[in-house]
Amino acid sequence: MADAVFLGLAVITIGSAIAALEVRSLIYGSIALMGTLGGIAGFFLLLDSPFVAMFQIAVYIGSIAVLILFTVMLVRRQLIFIKIEDKRRRYAGIGLMLSLMMGLGAIILSSGIKTVTTDEPPVDFRAIGADFLTYYWPALILMGFILAASVIGALTLARREDLTNDQHNA
Amino acid sequence: MSTIAPKFRLSYFLKSITDNAFWAILLLTLIGLPFVQIILFYLELPVIGNRLLDPYLALTILADPSRQIPLIKSLMQTEFFKIAAFPGFGFAALLAAGTIFVERKMLAKLQLRVGPFYCGKIEGILQLMSDGIKLLSKEIIIPAKADKPIFWAAPVLFVGTAAAFVSLIPAARGGWVVADADVGLLAVFAIIGFFPVITVLSAWSANSKFPFIGGIRALHQMVSFEIPLILSVLGVVILTGTLNLTEIVESQYTYWWIIFLPIGAIVFFIAMLAELERIPFDLPEAESEIVAGWLTEFSGMMYGLVQLGSYLKLYAFAGLFVVLFLGGWSGPNIWPPFPQEIIDKGIEMGPITVRLPGLPLLDQQMLNDVLWFVVKTVGVIFFILLPRGVFPRIRIDLLLHIGWYKLIGLSFVNIFIALALVYAGVLGPEGIL
Repeated sequence: MADAVFLGLAVITIGSAIAALEVRSLIYGSIALMGTLGGIAGFFLLLDSPFVAMFQIAVYIGSIAVLILFTVMLVRRQLIFIKIEDKRRRYAGIGLMLSLMMGLGAIILSSGIKTVTTDEPPVDFRAIGADFLTYYWPALILMGFILAASVIGALTLARREDLTNDQHNA
Repeated sequence: MSTIAPKFRLSYFLKSITDNAFWAILLLTLIGLPFVQIILFYLELPVIGNRLLDPYLALTILADPSRQIPLIKSLMQTEFFKIAAFPGFGFAALLAAGTIFVERKMLAKLQLRVGPFYCGKIEGILQLMSDGIKLLSKEIIIPAKADKPIFWAAPVLFVGTAAAFVSLIPAARGGWVVADADVGLLAVFAIIGFFPVITVLSAWSANSKFPFIGGIRALHQMVSFEIPLILSVLGVVILTGTLNLTEIVESQYTYWWIIFLPIGAIVFFIAMLAELERIPFDLPEAESEIVAGWLTEFSGMMYGLVQLGSYLKLYAFAGLFVVLFLGGWSGPNIWPPFPQEIIDKGIEMGPITVRLPGLPLLDQQMLNDVLWFVVKTVGVIFFILLPRGVFPRIRIDLLLHIGWYKLIGLSFVNIFIALALVYAGVLGPEGIL
């Protein structure tokens, strides 16, 4: 059962990833990208970590894919893309991807991952949260500061001096 | 050969009669008989001349309910029943249909109008049915330059996503929920994230300017109000220490969280109104500016599906508010107990005594839970409907200003209140309450 689900998810993920690159319409491409991200969420569910899967759906499909869709809808395709695609580049790209995949696969298979067998239950997300708040608290604080700094930076960059603030006070 | 019906053939006539008879018998056995049997247990049936004067006697003998009750009970434990009927789609669609009618009638009363009046004898009670038949029989018109696959898929996806949202809302204790997920609250937010995608895709695919403007507005509004929606719930998660919606309800048997987190409840309610695109936040379908917003090009049953989905979403949000802040199904026990003598002695009907093993069909606790859940949900739905008769529509910049500045700030205040309650030792795992 799990193998069939894994195969189905792999087909969905890889197929929609190829479609995301190859489909002519950019809207359909971004829908296919959503399929890829959803397939990855399915892998997380298969690995007994629904917490990560839900965040994958909420963040990647709910926010990032929407952002891409929104951007694609608002720009005209002809203005931002100049096609520099010919057959040699295409086959070189496919060859590069295949060699990279085979290399990575060989490394992973020879790393002894097939001999690892474990019956331990999956790590509870509460345990991860407790670790973050106790042992790894400096990392958490640092991440919080970096995120806050980037949000403040984004607000500063997006601020427009020429607009008066009157309409907000209305 | 008749001139009135030139294609009349006796075999077709017989076939139509037998078809009708088949459907009548099927519907009677599947819906009519169980309904009558459930209702009759709570009715005092008249005994005239040492015999119940009721067609039920004949039906009882005919259908032998002593064999049916265990069957119904086992059917009610199946996943299919949960998905299709009780805490799932059927229940939610029933409440949604009621909501549509009550909304129209109440809005009319608020504005000193009559509202639906002519369908059915009493106060236009059949208006909903006539609307449904009208939508079903109307032609579905697709704009000539629309993107057909997405345009067709969008209403179906909208209803499907709303139904997935409904499936996460628990209605009573003892597992009366379709999907009892350990990360239920996160799953809710993952599902809510699909609505802007579907909205903006359907708006784009119609290839018309009013849907596109409405879709862009919907996207702005939904994406920016998701943030206060999520942040305002974090207070409840901090106090309960769980994301499971059933456990969140169980933590409120003594105190409802709205008592300790009123700011969070208010922020959640306002963000909920914006997510549901209801007045005063109905800019995506502002009918006086952009025809019907992103619904402009939908016709016939496609429009009906979108409406069904949006009212299912309304029920699900109201249920989520009840689960998070109003204690879910907790409430005093007011449902009358099942008559004991029916369990002990069976039902005596003149010369016949029918003993029914496996009664009662539903235990008293579950019915009481459902009663309280429905009462609270209907109350919340009432408060969602009420602003429509009171407030005007607000401008988009004011809407975004409220979302990004005020509601996010207030939800952080709410989080700090929750943290203060935990660290002061009032609530939480080792709290005094």
